[in-house]
Amino acid sequence: MIDLIAHNLAPIMFCSVMAMLLLGYPVAFTLAAGGLAFFVIGVELSPYSNEINLSWPLLQSHPSRVFGIMSNETLLAIPFFTFMGLVLERSGVAEDLLDTIGQLFGPVRGGLALAVVLVGSLLAATTGIVAASVMAMGLISLPIMLRYGYSPAIASGTVVASGTLAQIVPPSLVLIVMADQLGRPVGDMYVGAFVPAMITIGIYCAFVVWLSIFRPSMMPALPLEARKFKGGLGSLAGIIVVSVGVALAAQRWGFTGFASEIRLVASVTLAALFALCVTMLNRKLSLGLMSYLAEEVVIVLIPPLALIFLVLGTIFLGIATPTEGGAMGAAGALVLAFIRRRLNYTMLKSALDATARLAAFVMFILIGARIFGLTFYGINGNLWIEELLLQLPGGQLGFLVFVSLIVFVLGCFLDFFEIAFIVVPLLVPVASQLGIDLIWFGVILGINLQTSFLTPPFGFSLFYFRSVAPDEDWTDPVTTRRMKAVRTIEIYKGALPFIGLQVLVLAIVIIFPGLVTHYKEVPPPIPGGIQQNLPGMSGGSLPGLPGSTGGSLPGLPGSSGGGLPPLQLSPLGASQD
Amino acid sequence: MMSLILKISRAIDAVTELFGRYVSWFVLAAVLVSAANAISRKAFNVSSNAWLELQWYFFGAVFMLTAADALRRNAHVRIDIVTSMLTQKTRDVIDLVCHITFLTPFCILMSWLSWTFFLRAALSGETSSNFGGLVIWPARFLILLGFVLLLFQAVSEIIKRIAVLRGVSIDTPSDEGLDLL
Repeated sequence: MIDLIAHNLAPIMFCSVMAMLLLGYPVAFTLAAGGLAFFVIGVELSPYSNEINLSWPLLQSHPSRVFGIMSNETLLAIPFFTFMGLVLERSGVAEDLLDTIGQLFGPVRGGLALAVVLVGSLLAATTGIVAASVMAMGLISLPIMLRYGYSPAIASGTVVASGTLAQIVPPSLVLIVMADQLGRPVGDMYVGAFVPAMITIGIYCAFVVWLSIFRPSMMPALPLEARKFKGGLGSLAGIIVVSVGVALAAQRWGFTGFASEIRLVASVTLAALFALCVTMLNRKLSLGLMSYLAEEVVIVLIPPLALIFLVLGTIFLGIATPTEGGAMGAAGALVLAFIRRRLNYTMLKSALDATARLAAFVMFILIGARIFGLTFYGINGNLWIEELLLQLPGGQLGFLVFVSLIVFVLGCFLDFFEIAFIVVPLLVPVASQLGIDLIWFGVILGINLQTSFLTPPFGFSLFYFRSVAPDEDWTDPVTTRRMKAVRTIEIYKGALPFIGLQVLVLAIVIIFPGLVTHYKEVPPPIPGGIQQNLPGMSGGSLPGLPGSTGGSLPGLPGSSGGGLPPLQLSPLGASQD
Repeated sequence: MMSLILKISRAIDAVTELFGRYVSWFVLAAVLVSAANAISRKAFNVSSNAWLELQWYFFGAVFMLTAADALRRNAHVRIDIVTSMLTQKTRDVIDLVCHITFLTPFCILMSWLSWTFFLRAALSGETSSNFGGLVIWPARFLILLGFVLLLFQAVSEIIKRIAVLRGVSIDTPSDEGLDLL
């Protein structure tokens, strides 16, 4: 009997600890306790099985493992991006974006839904916090969409799905944690996830457009009396063209003497500042050069876009590490909040407290998982899992499909931190053995988790949304009409098509790994001497980028597919030392 | 008797809360140090390992010293799909048993192990292996302090659970702010 237990300790441990987790006690401490309990059992049983390599002195490695978690630079990005997101969220960025972009697109059929998808993407690239995006959009956009006759299901589905984009769009926390667990650089993870994220956004937009054509009654245009802007698109186009021109000119003739990446960042920043200054001047002095619409759009859009560029752009260009990018982003968010006069003690303190508590529970789950891991690996549990998974039929594809299913199901019940810290480390060795690129693997897992967030009845986003959607009949303050409550079944129905779209994206990414693995094609660093040959090239390569500050993000490497190097940026990246 | 023990629990809670309240400022400190270091590295090509290490010292302080307060506020995530179907009383019993059998032994073990871990560094005055790196013992002290605080908070939680099961009402602190994460 003892022999039987000793030889099957790994499966017994795995199942027992999973069962312990269901007790509903904090995950971090359950994992640690399970790990320690089975450590004791393992040491006692070690004479009976040569698969058990545990002994008491091994316990002493725990403090240094905690120390290792503490000094891990990658994980430092978690509090930075969380803090940045919370500060932005609390300074009302979402409200302003939704209002302005909603007005910009509202006059078109399906425009409000399109605005929600776009703002969801922008929020994902700045705040990166699903609950915050879903709740902000649910509070602000949902009533407007319902008021003007959107189908409750489609309105709910759009908000929930767009809010959940934060899972996959860099600088998502999921990607940071995933990169840490996969042992790959976060920067690569971001570059790898970028195209799939753009595809997801693109497919969401296409779906909304398709609906607006074939099911127009589900998403009517804003009626005339609800429109704030009366024309004025021309001057918006004008200011964009002029700003792009400024960026190009600055890149070619300004900032000489700096490295080319720095010049790029500096020129784009200069152009953004230029656009903002012109607009402010126009408004303050009533010059009448720009329409009200153009003013509003520039003032609302430029600051968050500039921040996204400063953070993600510098990371993609290799100028800043993700941790530095996060710190700069957090500092930038504070500056933005200050300029918007939303920075005060209460707001700052609540953002700091929430960040600290998130950090505490995430890092303690990691500590617990490491303690679990020491025992589990000591009894060769990793080999057991490996053998189990390698027996799956279908090689790479079979493994990916199986893992997708498992992670998707787990994602309906568990937080992604638990999945990342417990499940992912067990999958990594198998994935490497099957020759699966780990960044690709991480992105696939990320898309999976995003999908499970949307899936009824346990999807987290659905809960967040339910908590802000009206659950009883309400009187609309603007039209004073009685409005129906949003029923839970309608939220589920609205989420379904988006789950389908997610599965489509997942299939695309699995079938075309090149969409992710292009991160490798950034050529290796070239010695500084070659840099002198490049200015002409780097000048010419710019047009790809200002677009990103101009609001046309999807035009970026989405089109470069797998074959081409990402953007034209490679020559720039090449000159870094 | 019960009231004396509850006083102990309240004293522990007060200390934990004090840490929770002030340590979160280290998040801001870490942000500022890291941002300043990134700027000076790019703009002036000046960087120092001491600064790089300082940022994770701050972050380490944040999560090690907030963990106890997070426990007090019930902010550590749980998987409650099964237990949400149980009565409050059953959940209190589960919590009490797990505080005693899961959390307390874990904290005692880790406090003891990190004490020797800290002492070794403190006695030798060891510095980090990076050029110009910081002295190591403060970081290790954070680990020790974190687990000791957690142990005390575990004791306080045990007291409070017992009190609740005996019908004494305890107000559990709300967890505002975290709902957005």
